[in-house]
Amino acid sequence: MNTKPSRSRLQHQQQQEQTLEQQITSQKQAGLEFASVEDMLRYDAGQVTPPPVIAERLKASLERERQTESGKSWWQRLFGK
Amino acid sequence: MESVVTGVNSVPAIQNATSHGAELKGGTWSDLYEQHASHVYYLALRTVGDPTLAEDITHDVFLKAFHNLDQFRGESSLRTWLYRVTINHCRNAQGAWHQRNIIGTDNVDVLDGPTANSETPLRVLEIKELGQRIRKTLDALPAEYGLLLLLVADEQLSYQEVASLTEQTADAVRGKLYRARRAFIVEFQKTG
Repeated sequence: MNTKPSRSRLQHQQQQEQTLEQQITSQKQAGLEFASVEDMLRYDAGQVTPPPVIAERLKASLERERQTESGKSWWQRLFGK
Repeated sequence: MESVVTGVNSVPAIQNATSHGAELKGGTWSDLYEQHASHVYYLALRTVGDPTLAEDITHDVFLKAFHNLDQFRGESSLRTWLYRVTINHCRNAQGAWHQRNIIGTDNVDVLDGPTANSETPLRVLEIKELGQRIRKTLDALPAEYGLLLLLVADEQLSYQEVASLTEQTADAVRGKLYRARRAFIVEFQKTG
Protein backbone atom coordinates (compact mmCIF):
# COMPACT_ATOMS: atom_id res chain seq x y z
CA MET A 1 0.00 0.00 0.00
CA ASN A 2 1.32 3.37 -0.94
CA THR A 3 1.34 5.74 2.01
CA LYS A 4 2.76 8.74 0.17
CA PRO A 5 -0.46 10.47 -0.80
CA SER A 6 -1.92 10.22 2.71
CA ARG A 7 1.31 11.48 4.27
CA SER A 8 1.32 14.39 1.91
CA ARG A 9 -2.31 15.10 2.70
CA LEU A 10 -1.50 14.99 6.41
CA GLN A 11 1.41 17.36 5.94
CA HIS A 12 -0.78 19.69 3.94
CA GLN A 13 -3.48 19.59 6.60
CA GLN A 14 -0.92 20.27 9.32
CA GLN A 15 0.45 23.18 7.34
CA GLN A 16 -3.01 24.62 6.90
CA GLU A 17 -3.74 24.28 10.62
CA GLN A 18 -0.43 25.91 11.45
CA THR A 19 -1.13 28.83 9.11
CA LEU A 20 -4.58 29.31 10.58
CA GLU A 21 -3.17 29.22 14.09
CA GLN A 22 -0.53 31.78 13.14
CA GLN A 23 -3.17 34.00 11.62
CA ILE A 24 -5.31 33.86 14.75
CA THR A 25 -2.29 34.52 16.97
CA SER A 26 -1.15 37.47 14.90
CA GLN A 27 -4.68 38.88 14.87
CA LYS A 28 -4.84 38.55 18.65
CA GLN A 29 -1.43 40.14 19.02
CA ALA A 30 -2.22 42.95 16.63
CA GLY A 31 -5.43 44.00 18.39
CA LEU A 32 -6.15 47.63 17.78
CA GLU A 33 -3.84 50.56 17.91
CA PHE A 34 -5.09 54.08 18.46
CA ALA A 35 -3.03 57.09 17.57
CA SER A 36 -4.60 59.22 20.28
CA VAL A 37 -6.78 59.07 23.35
CA GLU A 38 -9.55 60.77 21.40
CA ASP A 39 -9.38 58.11 18.68
CA MET A 40 -9.79 55.43 21.31
CA LEU A 41 -12.73 57.20 22.92
CA ARG A 42 -14.38 57.68 19.53
CA TYR A 43 -13.99 53.97 18.83
CA ASP A 44 -15.40 53.15 22.26
CA ALA A 45 -18.32 55.51 21.69
CA GLY A 46 -19.04 53.71 18.42
CA GLN A 47 -19.39 50.44 20.32
CA VAL A 48 -21.90 51.84 22.80
CA THR A 49 -25.58 51.97 21.88
CA PRO A 50 -28.19 53.54 24.12
CA PRO A 51 -30.54 50.83 25.41
CA PRO A 52 -33.91 50.93 23.59
CA VAL A 53 -35.61 51.12 26.98
CA ILE A 54 -34.67 54.82 27.17
CA ALA A 55 -36.86 55.63 24.16
CA GLU A 56 -39.68 53.56 25.65
CA ARG A 57 -39.42 55.35 29.00
CA LEU A 58 -39.27 58.69 27.27
CA LYS A 59 -42.40 57.94 25.32
CA ALA A 60 -44.20 56.76 28.45
CA SER A 61 -43.15 59.88 30.38
CA LEU A 62 -44.34 62.18 27.61
CA GLU A 63 -47.66 60.36 27.32
CA ARG A 64 -48.18 60.49 31.06
CA GLU A 65 -47.55 64.22 31.03
CA ARG A 66 -49.91 64.70 28.09
CA GLN A 67 -52.66 62.82 29.93
CA THR A 68 -52.11 64.94 33.03
CA GLU A 69 -52.17 68.04 30.87
CA SER A 70 -55.38 67.06 29.08
CA GLY A 71 -57.03 66.32 32.43
CA LYS A 72 -56.63 69.96 33.45
CA SER A 73 -59.40 72.49 33.02
CA TRP A 74 -58.99 75.25 30.41
CA TRP A 75 -58.01 77.86 33.00
CA GLN A 76 -55.36 75.54 34.54
CA ARG A 77 -53.84 74.99 31.10
CA LEU A 78 -54.03 78.70 30.32
CA PHE A 79 -52.29 79.77 33.52
CA GLY A 80 -50.00 76.75 33.61
CA LYS A 81 -51.33 75.42 36.92
CA MET B 1 -39.74 56.66 8.85
CA GLU B 2 -37.94 54.16 11.04
CA SER B 3 -36.11 55.53 14.05
CA VAL B 4 -35.09 54.72 17.56
CA VAL B 5 -38.20 56.30 19.00
CA THR B 6 -40.49 55.08 16.26
CA GLY B 7 -39.09 51.62 16.86
CA VAL B 8 -41.28 51.69 19.93
CA ASN B 9 -43.94 54.16 18.91
CA SER B 10 -44.70 56.59 16.16
CA VAL B 11 -43.04 59.95 15.69
CA PRO B 12 -46.37 61.82 15.83
CA ALA B 13 -47.05 60.16 19.17
CA ILE B 14 -43.82 61.57 20.54
CA GLN B 15 -44.48 64.94 18.97
CA ASN B 16 -48.01 65.10 20.30
CA ALA B 17 -46.81 63.98 23.67
CA THR B 18 -44.55 67.01 24.09
CA SER B 19 -46.22 69.53 26.32
CA HIS B 20 -45.89 72.56 24.06
CA GLY B 21 -46.11 70.64 20.81
CA ALA B 22 -43.69 73.01 19.08
CA GLU B 23 -42.25 72.03 15.74
CA LEU B 24 -38.58 71.22 15.80
CA LYS B 25 -36.57 73.10 13.23
CA GLY B 26 -34.94 70.82 10.70
CA GLY B 27 -36.64 67.62 11.76
CA THR B 28 -38.77 65.81 14.25
CA TRP B 29 -38.34 65.02 17.92
CA SER B 30 -37.47 61.55 16.84
CA ASP B 31 -34.69 62.92 14.63
CA LEU B 32 -33.36 64.87 17.58
CA TYR B 33 -33.27 61.73 19.69
CA GLU B 34 -31.69 59.67 16.94
CA GLN B 35 -28.99 62.20 16.19
CA HIS B 36 -27.93 62.88 19.75
CA ALA B 37 -29.01 60.02 22.03
CA SER B 38 -25.90 57.91 21.54
CA HIS B 39 -23.63 60.89 22.29
CA VAL B 40 -25.60 61.93 25.35
CA TYR B 41 -25.75 58.34 26.64
CA TYR B 42 -22.05 57.77 26.04
CA LEU B 43 -21.04 60.96 27.85
CA ALA B 44 -23.29 60.05 30.76
CA LEU B 45 -22.13 56.42 30.84
CA ARG B 46 -18.45 57.21 30.87
CA THR B 47 -18.91 60.11 33.29
CA VAL B 48 -20.98 58.34 35.95
CA GLY B 49 -19.83 54.81 35.14
CA ASP B 50 -23.17 53.20 35.91
CA PRO B 51 -25.34 52.08 32.94
CA THR B 52 -28.59 52.40 34.92
CA LEU B 53 -27.73 55.90 36.05
CA ALA B 54 -26.65 56.79 32.51
CA GLU B 55 -30.04 55.57 31.29
CA ASP B 56 -31.83 57.77 33.82
CA ILE B 57 -29.71 60.76 32.88
CA THR B 58 -30.31 60.28 29.14
CA HIS B 59 -34.04 59.97 29.74
CA ASP B 60 -34.10 63.12 31.88
CA VAL B 61 -31.96 65.10 29.43
CA PHE B 62 -34.29 64.39 26.51
CA LEU B 63 -37.38 64.97 28.59
CA LYS B 64 -35.96 68.34 29.53
CA ALA B 65 -35.04 68.99 25.91
CA PHE B 66 -38.57 68.21 24.74
CA HIS B 67 -39.95 70.66 27.31
CA ASN B 68 -37.39 73.41 27.08
CA LEU B 69 -36.16 73.47 23.56
CA ASP B 70 -37.63 76.95 23.24
CA GLN B 71 -34.87 78.05 25.65
CA PHE B 72 -32.32 76.97 23.07
CA ARG B 73 -31.38 80.25 21.44
CA GLY B 74 -29.10 78.87 18.77
CA GLU B 75 -26.02 80.60 20.26
CA SER B 76 -24.39 77.20 20.47
CA SER B 77 -25.06 73.96 18.64
CA LEU B 78 -27.91 71.76 19.76
CA ARG B 79 -25.34 69.12 20.68
CA THR B 80 -23.60 71.60 22.99
CA TRP B 81 -26.91 72.53 24.58
CA LEU B 82 -27.74 68.86 25.21
CA TYR B 83 -24.25 68.23 26.58
CA ARG B 84 -24.65 71.15 28.99
CA VAL B 85 -27.83 69.61 30.35
CA THR B 86 -26.14 66.18 30.49
CA ILE B 87 -23.14 67.53 32.39
CA ASN B 88 -25.43 69.23 34.91
CA HIS B 89 -27.39 66.01 35.40
CA CYS B 90 -24.19 64.03 35.83
CA ARG B 91 -22.93 66.53 38.39
CA ASN B 92 -26.18 66.34 40.30
CA ALA B 93 -26.04 62.56 40.17
CA GLN B 94 -22.52 62.53 41.46
CA GLY B 95 -23.07 65.03 44.25
CA ALA B 96 -20.54 67.75 44.74
CA TRP B 97 -18.58 66.68 41.69
CA HIS B 98 -17.42 70.12 40.74
CA GLN B 99 -16.05 71.03 44.15
CA ARG B 100 -14.19 67.77 44.50
CA ASN B 101 -12.74 67.48 41.08
CA ILE B 102 -12.17 70.79 39.38
CA ILE B 103 -8.47 71.28 38.70
CA GLY B 104 -7.09 74.76 39.17
CA THR B 105 -4.33 76.08 36.96
CA ASP B 106 -1.90 76.01 39.92
CA ASN B 107 -1.99 72.27 40.41
CA VAL B 108 -2.35 70.95 36.88
CA ASP B 109 0.97 69.11 37.09
CA VAL B 110 -0.29 66.88 39.86
CA LEU B 111 -0.92 63.91 37.56
CA ASP B 112 2.03 64.18 35.25
CA GLY B 113 3.52 60.73 35.20
CA PRO B 114 7.23 60.26 34.60
CA THR B 115 6.65 58.05 31.56
CA ALA B 116 3.60 59.84 30.23
CA ASN B 117 3.84 60.74 26.59
CA SER B 118 0.84 62.04 24.71
CA GLU B 119 2.32 60.76 21.43
CA THR B 120 2.39 57.13 22.57
CA PRO B 121 0.01 54.99 20.52
CA LEU B 122 -2.50 53.11 22.60
CA ARG B 123 -2.50 49.43 21.83
CA VAL B 124 -5.42 47.25 22.81
CA LEU B 125 -5.39 43.49 22.49
CA GLU B 126 -8.74 42.62 23.99
CA ILE B 127 -11.42 44.77 22.42
CA LYS B 128 -14.06 43.26 24.70
CA GLU B 129 -12.42 44.81 27.73
CA LEU B 130 -11.85 48.21 26.17
CA GLY B 131 -14.93 49.80 27.73
CA GLN B 132 -14.03 48.54 31.18
CA ARG B 133 -10.45 49.72 30.84
CA ILE B 134 -11.56 53.15 29.69
CA ARG B 135 -13.98 53.35 32.60
CA LYS B 136 -11.24 52.37 35.07
CA THR B 137 -8.91 54.91 33.52
CA LEU B 138 -11.46 57.71 33.68
CA ASP B 139 -12.19 56.76 37.29
CA ALA B 140 -8.55 57.24 38.15
CA LEU B 141 -8.42 60.71 36.59
CA PRO B 142 -9.83 63.92 38.01
CA ALA B 143 -13.35 64.16 36.61
CA GLU B 144 -12.49 67.36 34.78
CA TYR B 145 -9.77 65.63 32.77
CA GLY B 146 -12.16 62.84 31.86
CA LEU B 147 -14.85 65.29 30.83
CA LEU B 148 -12.44 67.28 28.67
CA LEU B 149 -11.30 64.15 26.86
CA LEU B 150 -14.83 62.90 26.32
CA LEU B 151 -15.95 66.25 24.94
CA VAL B 152 -12.94 66.77 22.69
CA ALA B 153 -13.41 63.24 21.32
CA ASP B 154 -16.70 64.44 19.85
CA GLU B 155 -15.52 65.91 16.58
CA GLN B 156 -18.64 68.03 16.30
CA LEU B 157 -17.47 70.25 19.17
CA SER B 158 -14.98 73.05 18.74
CA TYR B 159 -12.43 73.94 21.45
CA GLN B 160 -14.48 77.06 22.07
CA GLU B 161 -17.58 74.96 22.72
CA VAL B 162 -15.64 72.62 25.01
CA ALA B 163 -14.34 75.69 26.84
CA SER B 164 -17.86 77.02 27.22
CA LEU B 165 -19.15 73.68 28.49
CA THR B 166 -16.39 73.40 31.07
CA GLU B 167 -16.55 77.09 32.02
CA GLN B 168 -13.02 78.08 31.14
CA THR B 169 -11.04 79.62 28.31
CA ALA B 170 -10.05 77.72 25.18
CA ASP B 171 -6.38 78.22 26.17
CA ALA B 172 -7.02 76.62 29.55
CA VAL B 173 -8.72 73.73 27.76
CA ARG B 174 -5.69 73.22 25.52
CA GLY B 175 -3.29 73.22 28.47
CA LYS B 176 -5.36 70.86 30.56
CA LEU B 177 -6.07 68.63 27.60
CA TYR B 178 -2.38 68.04 27.06
CA ARG B 179 -2.03 66.92 30.67
CA ALA B 180 -5.27 64.97 30.54
CA ARG B 181 -4.02 62.94 27.56
CA ARG B 182 -0.76 62.14 29.31
CA ALA B 183 -2.52 61.19 32.53
CA PHE B 184 -4.99 59.04 30.60
CA ILE B 185 -2.22 57.11 28.84
CA VAL B 186 -0.38 56.45 32.11
CA GLU B 187 -3.54 55.27 33.85
CA PHE B 188 -4.71 53.27 30.83
CA GLN B 189 -1.43 51.37 30.69
CA LYS B 190 -1.93 50.40 34.34
CA THR B 191 -5.24 48.74 33.49
CA GLY B 192 -3.69 46.35 30.93
